[in-house]
Amino acid sequence: MDQTLTEFIHALRNADVRISTAETLDAFRAVDLVGYRDREHLKQSLSMVLPKTEDEKEAFEHCFEQFFKINDLSSGNPNDADGEGEQDDNADGGENEGGGGGDAESGNNTEAAESGKGKKKSKGKPKGGRDVIEGVEEEEEDLGPGETSPAKSELGKMVMANSMVELTVAMAEGARAVNLEDIQVFTQKGLYTRRIMDAMGLEEMNREISGNRRSPNVPDRRLGQQLKARREILREQVRDYVEKQFLLFADSSGKRLREELLRKVKLSNVEHRNFRLIQEIVFRMAKKLSTMYSRRKKVFKKGQLNIPRTLRSNMAYDGAIFDLKWKSVKVDRPKVFAICDVSGSVATYARFMLTFLYSLEEVMPRVRSFAFSSDLAEVTSLFERNTIEDAIAKTLHDYSGGSTDYGQSLVDFKRLCLDDIDNRTTIIILGDARNNFGEARAEIMKELYDRSRSVLWLNPESKAAWNSGDSEMRKYGAYCHQVSECNSLQHLERIVGNLLKAVHG
Amino acid sequence: MADIEKMAESVESIRLHLEAHNYICSTQIATAVYLAYHLQKPILIEGPPGVGKTELAKTVSEMFERDLIRLQCYEGLDEAKAIYEWKYGKQLLYTQVLKETLDDVLQGAKGFTESVARLHDFGDIFFSEEFLEPRPLLQALKHEEGAILLIDEIDKADHEFESLLLEILSDFQVSIAEIGTIKASAIPPIVFLTSNNTREISDALKRRCLHLYIPFPDLELEQRIVEARVPEIPPELRRQMVAFIQELRTLDLKKLPAISETIDWARTLLLLNSTSLDADMVRDTLNVILKFQEDIENVDSELTTLTSNARKATR
Repeated sequence: MDQTLTEFIHALRNADVRISTAETLDAFRAVDLVGYRDREHLKQSLSMVLPKTEDEKEAFEHCFEQFFKINDLSSGNPNDADGEGEQDDNADGGENEGGGGGDAESGNNTEAAESGKGKKKSKGKPKGGRDVIEGVEEEEEDLGPGETSPAKSELGKMVMANSMVELTVAMAEGARAVNLEDIQVFTQKGLYTRRIMDAMGLEEMNREISGNRRSPNVPDRRLGQQLKARREILREQVRDYVEKQFLLFADSSGKRLREELLRKVKLSNVEHRNFRLIQEIVFRMAKKLSTMYSRRKKVFKKGQLNIPRTLRSNMAYDGAIFDLKWKSVKVDRPKVFAICDVSGSVATYARFMLTFLYSLEEVMPRVRSFAFSSDLAEVTSLFERNTIEDAIAKTLHDYSGGSTDYGQSLVDFKRLCLDDIDNRTTIIILGDARNNFGEARAEIMKELYDRSRSVLWLNPESKAAWNSGDSEMRKYGAYCHQVSECNSLQHLERIVGNLLKAVHG
Repeated sequence: MADIEKMAESVESIRLHLEAHNYICSTQIATAVYLAYHLQKPILIEGPPGVGKTELAKTVSEMFERDLIRLQCYEGLDEAKAIYEWKYGKQLLYTQVLKETLDDVLQGAKGFTESVARLHDFGDIFFSEEFLEPRPLLQALKHEEGAILLIDEIDKADHEFESLLLEILSDFQVSIAEIGTIKASAIPPIVFLTSNNTREISDALKRRCLHLYIPFPDLELEQRIVEARVPEIPPELRRQMVAFIQELRTLDLKKLPAISETIDWARTLLLLNSTSLDADMVRDTLNVILKFQEDIENVDSELTTLTSNARKATR
């Protein structure tokens, strides 16, 4: 059973629930205490030990439902399994049932009803999964009722005995033997189904089936037919089982792989359908950064005296007050001006940078943003009134027309807010510096450089392409504290992280 | 002395005992208490305000008949107020008194080294447990019979304070620089932490706790809570008002009414001798359940529909 719990935790981790080793140990202790018998009880206990946020609890809920539906049957004694099967049916109304009992059972019920034979129908829910294979009695050749020979192969015995518990255990063991948890892509499902069947002793049963079907003995032939029918149902169940395990083990690791790739890929190459995912990654990165930096507070060295604290901490010095304590605590927050080129080629980058900056609201509440292609305008208020996505869409829509004119934009910027720039301001300019051979107006850059704390230029083009053709990177770069290439989420994360570090440090 | 061991033998038994103390809860909550007791781990309780987070700790203390030690968190809470402080006043007083006996102590001492050696034996007394003022956390640790420690609204305290708690929560011990490590008495306290989620609690802290989320109760549970807390209220009215509150929670409000508000409202309605819900009555008492003028105005227009819905739902 320990193996089961470890696997469950693995599956949870796959579903983005962070579980430390200490918590794993806690889970074992909790399970020792409550046991596996009462499913609801187990779930409630684990839900307090493992997931620690609301999101995680939701993921946990989902995982638990999927995972323990299968493994419940492989655990404990048959009575237990029956009880569980029943409970599940009631809870889920029969949907979403797995390699356990439900699906196969209901399938058989209808089948039996249709065929009108109904001589050994499963007797409704109380008997649960145990009658699973019973209902299928459709013979190709009518051999009539009568004795059937006992099955000889291991798997055959299990199938004929209808022992769902044993079957599920065998299924789980088979899965373990073929390393089902390594399943990566959707197309491998068939392969793994076959392998598990093999591991369960399919070959032996196949031989028995073909042997029996050719046998002159009627009970033997009857056995052959039944085994064959049951083999199909078993196959169905194994496939369901694989499907579930695939969802549990592979789906999220696939997602993770994709996320990993997306972090590194050039933002302009990201396909449109992945935008949502990128947005998510950006939010997550921003969250990480903001929790990392929101804590930095520094106690003022001036302001109002905190008298109680001062007295208390100076009592140790015989009441002579020389270690002063102040009341105010200052939270250090950067003031950022973001200037984005939103003309065609750079627009995608602008989108993600703005998303990033505005997702950092908690640690950077004072972001003012400006967009330009030919003329520059402030778009801060757009972001105040709308959600980030809408604001970005509007910005791109309103300002992205026209050919890029850096000179004019700098003039506009100077006119708009040169006075607001002081030595705590960081200016971030995102653009490729391709000025269409217009006037560069680098002297304005110098002014910005002199007045601000720092000027960062982020260029989405790779370094080799800078200064070629109409790029003015060399002129502008001279008046920047830092010039960096920025065309993937990874770059973006590093730059914004440094920004926070620099301001806080 | 309550037989705690017997009370805590199963989740169901805990639930029933809590119920006997007028705390009606889901099995999830009872399971949390059960695990906390048996695994000796603190419980971090999160959830909207007014769903009975603090109440749970109080009830458990009543149920187990153990003392409740409460530490209310706020910004700027520090070691000196939460864990321990030296009794500076006493130390000063004793120094004054002992000044006079100093001569006796030093009598006959030859040379500086010997005097200092004698003073050394003497000086350590000032930093012994005699002069230690235990604050809530230390009190809870040293409690002979085991206490219930409630650290209320941990999210209001600073991040640094969370780190201070880690040692206590995972090992039930406190390190004091001058004395050394103080361990919990034979029976460690049962610790409850509550948070209203005004900020994210650090992973380090979460890792050491069981995490219990108490949501708003469902219709049936809330009915039973009201029944337990305000038993005098007529059943018909109780059904209607709970249905109304449940309906209210589905609306987009600034602050949703919590259980504490439901109970207050039940008492109010009882006081006004009403037997069933009608729109005017609700309008007059709306300020008991809604705490923002904005919300009251929003609900006002839909009041008639809501009330009739609530009346219908119970039929």
